[in-house]
Amino acid sequence: MASIECNGMQVELNPEGFLVDPGAWNDDLARVLAVQEEGLQTLDAQHWSVIRFIRQYYDEHQSAPMVRLICKSTGLPLKRIYELFPSGPAKGACKLAGLPKPDGCV
Amino acid sequence: MVTIEERIDALTERELQHGLDVFRSKLRAAEASYLNACVHCGLCAESCHYFRMEPTLENVPARKLDHVAAVFRRHFTTAGRLAPGLVGARGFDRAMVRAWLDAVFGRCSLCGRCSLNCTIGIGLPRVFRAARAALAAMDLVPDDLQATVDNSLRHGNNMAITREDWVDTVQWLEEELQMETGDPEARLPLDRHGAKMLFTVNPREPKFFPLSLQASAKVFWAAREDWTLASDPGWDLTNYGLFNCNDEQAGQITQNLVDAMARLGCTTLVIGECGHGFGAARWEGPEWLQRTYPFELRSMLDVMDEYLESGRITVDPARNAKTVTLHDPCNLVRHGGVSEPQRRVLRRSVSRFVEMTPSREHNFCCGGGGGQLAMAAYKDRRIRSGGMKAQQIKDTGAEIVVAPCHNCIDQLMELNKEYRLGVQIKTVAEMVAEALVTDGPPPTDGKGTT
Repeated sequence: MASIECNGMQVELNPEGFLVDPGAWNDDLARVLAVQEEGLQTLDAQHWSVIRFIRQYYDEHQSAPMVRLICKSTGLPLKRIYELFPSGPAKGACKLAGLPKPDGCV
Repeated sequence: MVTIEERIDALTERELQHGLDVFRSKLRAAEASYLNACVHCGLCAESCHYFRMEPTLENVPARKLDHVAAVFRRHFTTAGRLAPGLVGARGFDRAMVRAWLDAVFGRCSLCGRCSLNCTIGIGLPRVFRAARAALAAMDLVPDDLQATVDNSLRHGNNMAITREDWVDTVQWLEEELQMETGDPEARLPLDRHGAKMLFTVNPREPKFFPLSLQASAKVFWAAREDWTLASDPGWDLTNYGLFNCNDEQAGQITQNLVDAMARLGCTTLVIGECGHGFGAARWEGPEWLQRTYPFELRSMLDVMDEYLESGRITVDPARNAKTVTLHDPCNLVRHGGVSEPQRRVLRRSVSRFVEMTPSREHNFCCGGGGGQLAMAAYKDRRIRSGGMKAQQIKDTGAEIVVAPCHNCIDQLMELNKEYRLGVQIKTVAEMVAEALVTDGPPPTDGKGTT
């Protein structure tokens, strides 16, 4: 089982780099995942607005939001979402927000 | 949650026997002869992307076949029952179940390239599908793959998207299309009863990557097509029953498409750009349901090809000036038989089109097929085996890779990152939509609008 170090703690990841326990997520972990999994050295306000919305949605619905809702809630155009997270909403944004990997062709 | 390893440990003799019975039930004359036919010539090794990127014995297709054939001989042939050691027969025990799981789920994308290169024409994917079916009957499908099937069974689509979310996204895309075209009458029609075409999509599009759906809608708009989407189950073209190989579940998922066609009274079912979805609906669906469809089924690639051939839409290739190559999804091309429409469409729509080598039915799998994309446990192998495709892409020098399959697209996106390809990845419809030549809004004649 892969793992990632954050604040001196080892956090388990699945083979695709998603958190095994979504409950272990916090802001520092998002920053570490951003560097290791998405090659993002820093997260700016737009990254955080997307991550926070996805996280809030997940806490309420136990699933990832539609990209439509991400755009609507953050006010960011679709193309900007893809620029912010090069691996896309699932393997980029949802991973950084600590969600499990969505099912389907992703 | 009980892991798959724990489930193997807990297998009873009765469950093993049930697996064997299901395996036997999937073997028709052809598969049974395949299981006796391999002469270990080894040509299949070089044809397999797993072996090419990691040349180990376990990656040789003939070796994978051996695991299955050994069990067949032990349990279903006289020589294997009487003298198993002499004929390479082995009983179906827990160790063998593990070998099957590793071979047919863990090292095979069911791409069929080995079969194409087999000196005696053994249909290895047919045999591997029978083995997967046996594992499925013992509840030994990797959990994340089975979860995708379960989503389809419970929610009518493989990402568990709610009706409200799906409809909301379609309406949003309609507004976007109206802005893009400047035509307030441009539509993504929902539930238009009696429309000629029911267009089906991959849930990945509305969920995360809607630009391909918008592009398809733009092509329909330009062609003034009489089409519709369905708001209830039957809008999703995917069928992961093709991968977990539980034919009963696969049939239930296919039934969603048949029901939607009946409900909406459409005459043509159009399968969007998806390899396994096309293969499942076009070739396997009637087998699973044991009846022919009372409607026509076409690939969106074929529809776009006809629009261009007949002059119903026109394109300017200068609008796609970058060098473009094309990936051939195994389920669409090698298994599905659709190889030329996408090529004719691209030659008309882009300035510079280059083929990969090899291409068409000889093309290499991207590594993401056969359910591999859904199975996290085999991720490292998936990325490694995709090295063949990455090299093919590099060799073309293309800036854009077109892939008429959403599953392949996701794998290609990962390969793009892992192998630093620096390419864009698009659907055929996205290329056509970009090149469309339209003179403002088309005349309103009632068609294509509600």
